[in-house]
Amino acid sequence: MQNVVERVLNLLIYLLESPTPVTSNDIRNTVHGYADQSDEAFHRMFERDKQVLRRLGVPLKLEALDVWEIDEGYTVDPEEYAIPDPRLDEKERLALTVAGRLVRLGGTEAGVGAIIKLGGMERGDGLEPLGADLGEGVEVLGELFGAISERRKTEFSYRGQPRKVEPYGIAHRRGHWYLVGNTVDGERMYRVDRIEDLKVGAESDTFVKPKGFDIRSVVDSQPWEAGTDPIVETEVRFDAEVAWWAARSLGLAEPNDELTVTVPVANRDAFVGWVLSFGDSAEVLEPAEMREAIATRVSEALGQLA
Amino acid sequence: MTSARTVSRLSRILALIPYVLDRQSADVGEIMERFGYTEDQLTRDLNTIFVCGLPGYGPGDLMEAYIDEDEVIIDAADFFAKAPRLTPSEALGLLAAGLTVIGTGEASPALESAVAKLSKVVMPDADTSLVVDVLDQSHHVGVLRDAAADSKVVKIVYRSVGKEETTEREIEPWSVFATLGRWYVLGHCRLVEGQRTFRIDRIKELEVLDETFERPASVPEPGVGYSPSKDDVTCVVDLQPAARWVLEYYPVDVLSESSHKTRIRFHSPDAEVPARLLLRLGTDAQLVEGPEVAARVEEIGRALLAKYR
Repeated sequence: MQNVVERVLNLLIYLLESPTPVTSNDIRNTVHGYADQSDEAFHRMFERDKQVLRRLGVPLKLEALDVWEIDEGYTVDPEEYAIPDPRLDEKERLALTVAGRLVRLGGTEAGVGAIIKLGGMERGDGLEPLGADLGEGVEVLGELFGAISERRKTEFSYRGQPRKVEPYGIAHRRGHWYLVGNTVDGERMYRVDRIEDLKVGAESDTFVKPKGFDIRSVVDSQPWEAGTDPIVETEVRFDAEVAWWAARSLGLAEPNDELTVTVPVANRDAFVGWVLSFGDSAEVLEPAEMREAIATRVSEALGQLA
Repeated sequence: MTSARTVSRLSRILALIPYVLDRQSADVGEIMERFGYTEDQLTRDLNTIFVCGLPGYGPGDLMEAYIDEDEVIIDAADFFAKAPRLTPSEALGLLAAGLTVIGTGEASPALESAVAKLSKVVMPDADTSLVVDVLDQSHHVGVLRDAAADSKVVKIVYRSVGKEETTEREIEPWSVFATLGRWYVLGHCRLVEGQRTFRIDRIKELEVLDETFERPASVPEPGVGYSPSKDDVTCVVDLQPAARWVLEYYPVDVLSESSHKTRIRFHSPDAEVPARLLLRLGTDAQLVEGPEVAARVEEIGRALLAKYR
């Protein structure tokens, strides 16, 4: 590893300092660590080192060296290499350091890699008894995040089906990460942990997000609001014992006594399931068809007991 | 193959150099803390920097890096005046961390402005394309965190998850954490005289008492799980594919799995929770074993049908 670290540092310095793109041959003959290697060994080392540079966040580019595009050379633009400075003050850096240590993503502290690049971790004090785990491996999420910010098209397999998606945003909701994007069938939401074989397009700026798109409006909805059934305004009553708990799930003020509310239902299955999770402490009052849907589900469940 | 260790070592070196260059020199202790170095690691990285530089690699071409009387000194490294830009994973990780804490409603103004500045440089439209919410609809997270930090006893009115019943109890909160999209408080429960994890959204009311408690020397790692006790009700259920979401929401044992059926064992303190689950699943689930649960499904089901028909 020691050799790799030194070689990559030397390679990066050479790329940053060369005024024009350099060929792989230039690199082989110039950068310390590549000399005396067979063609095959050089090729392997160089491929690996380019991979390391990309994973570090170095914008390595391959450019034509002449108008006939016969020779190509590598280049790193120092302007593009440098981290854009968010100009954080000390308090802000401390607040981010604390947050970055509290939150885990993909099994590691979510923000620490980034904080180090932004100038290291500010010294905090005292016990912080708060923590959060956002689950999920960071690899796919990172690729999606990159695709979203650079407006690159994506292709992946979802539950065995190939999808082509213009990625608009990602959201962590109810314990899972979701991708929201545009497809030939309109806007769709995908659970990130079910995305397989993700491929991100090579070209950036390939689509334009609709004006006014807000991922919150897509992911904020209750499960029974996100559906394709014709919307049915439904009145439900909750007993005092569970009223506060139902109100909290609905984002309403918590009542002291029982609660009667009207909710728009666009996914009948999901709604029936939710009401029945209250056992006999909740009752649908209107309309008759929704009462019937509940009764049918209960009869079915009783029928399963056999 | 790219080793993650190589990448993280280089990443730290490329962040260390601009930090020191910017200040001419920096205190060894400060550097170790700021970049998470041990003394040996720091010495090793400085020695690496010291042998790298511009092609030619003669004395005038190499970078300078050494420790002089507790000061880290780096020079002749102007090409590394700035750290490399954040990778998408790094940017997302830090933004997500900030947004999670903001989601508790307890963030300092400094964190809010830090996240705003950061998203400006990594994703200008982040406010409409990135949401990280671990919701705290109860608004209890901040209060419980403060109580844990101050070792204050808290009285809660709690609606338990396993039994659908509401109880009042005193707890000694040790830590507050979020996982699977929900907030939990871990601590000692005086009612059951043992360690318990409570779902914060199920705390109906809470009151921080003046009484303080002795915090255990080591607080267990937070985690959500259910340890069955011998008084538990157990049942075995076959789930249709449409009901597989149950595996993600309840602590169940999977007994067997095929493309059209998943057989699970469900433990709970009483029959209420599995009975309600079976009612909502309708034909998507079949009870295989569990006479108490069957009786409870029957009971609630009859009561419901009497209301509706």
